[in-house]
Amino acid sequence: MMAAEASQNRDFKVIAAEYGQKYGILMALVLICIILTFANEYFLTGRNIVNVLRQTSINGILAIGMTFVILTRGIDLSVGSVVALAGIVSASLATTSSTAAVLGAPYAAPIPLAVGIGVGLVAGWVNGVFVARYNVPAFVTTLGMLSAARGMALLYAGGKPVPALTDGYRFIGTGSILGIPMPIILFALVFLGAWFVLTSTRFGRQVYAVGGNPHAARVSGINVRRVRLLVYVISGGLAGIAGMILAARTGSALTQAGIAYELDAIAAVVIGGTSLSGGVGKVTGTLIGALLIAVVNNGLDLMGVESYYQQVIKGALIIAAVMLDRARHKAE
Amino acid sequence: MKTLMKTMTLAAVLLSSTAAVAQDKPKIGAAVYGLNAEFMQLWAAALEDHPAVKDGLVDVTIFDGRYDALVQQEQFETMITQGYDAIIFVPIDIEAGAEAVQLAHDAGIPVFGSNTRVNSDLLNAYVGSDDVQSGYMEAKYVLDQIGCTGNVVVIEGPIGQSAQIQRLEGNEKALAECPDVEVVEQQTANWSRAEAQTLMENWLTAHPGDIAGVIGQNDEMALGAIEAIKAAGLSVNDFAIAGIDGVTDALLAVKADEMASILQDGAAQAQGALDLAIKAVNPDYEPMSKIWEQYPDMPWNGGSDKEYNVPWTPVTLENVDALLEMRQ
Repeated sequence: MMAAEASQNRDFKVIAAEYGQKYGILMALVLICIILTFANEYFLTGRNIVNVLRQTSINGILAIGMTFVILTRGIDLSVGSVVALAGIVSASLATTSSTAAVLGAPYAAPIPLAVGIGVGLVAGWVNGVFVARYNVPAFVTTLGMLSAARGMALLYAGGKPVPALTDGYRFIGTGSILGIPMPIILFALVFLGAWFVLTSTRFGRQVYAVGGNPHAARVSGINVRRVRLLVYVISGGLAGIAGMILAARTGSALTQAGIAYELDAIAAVVIGGTSLSGGVGKVTGTLIGALLIAVVNNGLDLMGVESYYQQVIKGALIIAAVMLDRARHKAE
Repeated sequence: MKTLMKTMTLAAVLLSSTAAVAQDKPKIGAAVYGLNAEFMQLWAAALEDHPAVKDGLVDVTIFDGRYDALVQQEQFETMITQGYDAIIFVPIDIEAGAEAVQLAHDAGIPVFGSNTRVNSDLLNAYVGSDDVQSGYMEAKYVLDQIGCTGNVVVIEGPIGQSAQIQRLEGNEKALAECPDVEVVEQQTANWSRAEAQTLMENWLTAHPGDIAGVIGQNDEMALGAIEAIKAAGLSVNDFAIAGIDGVTDALLAVKADEMASILQDGAAQAQGALDLAIKAVNPDYEPMSKIWEQYPDMPWNGGSDKEYNVPWTPVTLENVDALLEMRQ
């Protein structure tokens, strides 16, 4: 009887902490939105909501890839550099003077876009091979890729920006369908895809299993190496997509693009409640984390608050989120 | 391991042999803060393109400071050890660079500043452009366009960098002449196009229909503002927008009549500094760069001035094609 009560009590603690964590972040987001609605008349307008979502899209896509990696106890520090590399390489095929443009509209966008995703996938695959096959720590592997991919982007472009992109290519950054900007549509598709994979597929369950307990996962017949490889490929491919959206939005691909983007992506994942020790977390949390960062930046910009405060507040959010994570672990 | 040793020996032999060949030629090193962005690449390309380098009269080596004051200082130490005859210096930091200049001075090597300033009176001479002036010129353009009335926003460089401080001083000088103009927003976007785009999107929301002019302290940020305006479904022609530097994308935007830009002639800053450096090693030398003819306002004066001011060139629809041609 006593034992049952104690275990019930513990279950309750776990559940409370889990709910507190999951809905704590959501509540924080709602609370901040309510405050900003009262603080600034333009915050809750259709146009500003579109702005916030658009400003979330690139970091959001990177953060979703990062969620897969962190769920397996990994980390991907290379995404910012892969953003630049994929943007530069794909954009170089999409300038108004490039072959694709000369071939005509049907080729002007698809070929460069496919190449850009390909660059991201290859970079991710290289990361994955070193981490999964050669057991090099993810931090070290992706730190190496962070440097190498940036260097390759600089080499490829000779350090110069790649300007004058075709309208077809720019559509993914500046176009819209039914009034919804393309970056938001792509972000939504990536989110829905990731959500489906993580909640409803065998691969999704394997990701959690590998992150939760790699040894048990291996014993139960999961190809751990394959799962670990694939999460880096996913992260790289999504970084490729993000890089092209960035180039299409800014109108030219820049070699300095994406510097320190990996940190914002990791921040969104951590704020969203995914545990850096793997196995626990949800892509919905990452979505909320990414939105929270964008909403805070947007709100402070609207109110004319100096950008340096934004960095301080983001830092405080990250630490608060990790505190919640620790509290939950203790409860378990 | 064996191969590595072999390679290293080979490299050492190669290094010493090139040093031997180059002994009679003046050896000039250029320490630049970093080669990741277009502007410094144009600077470096112009240095390699100097007639004295092409004719093989001097050996020039460019050191990439990788945006780190300490790396630059170590490169100075390397140049001192290797017995360079003169150094051209583009420092990352106005204060930290002084130590490097001191080291070269102690070793008896003349140092010439170019493009960015260093807080040291040991510099033999400085060839650069006055950022206060460009800040004034770009703000003046925006204010003239809006008829000295209405609201403007200022997008600043990284707070505390010498270019940001001086360009802001110039911006404010022009703004003081238009007391009816209000600066409704002023914030840094760290020279970044993507950051400026986000900032401008949010400002357009906060001040709908209320912003007439955009003063970007460099071209990249002005270009970011243009993309934000387009993304908001507004017409770029309803805004007066200006930037500084004359990077290629900005030239294209000027050609499309979307903004104004003021070209900073990094090529002249590089070649002018090299002429001075060669003169310091070889007192009989006469300057070979075309820039002294190109800019009558900046006389050579026997290479004895402490400061050479490369004039700014406003990019206009008339000269933009010629400038773009030079970039190919």
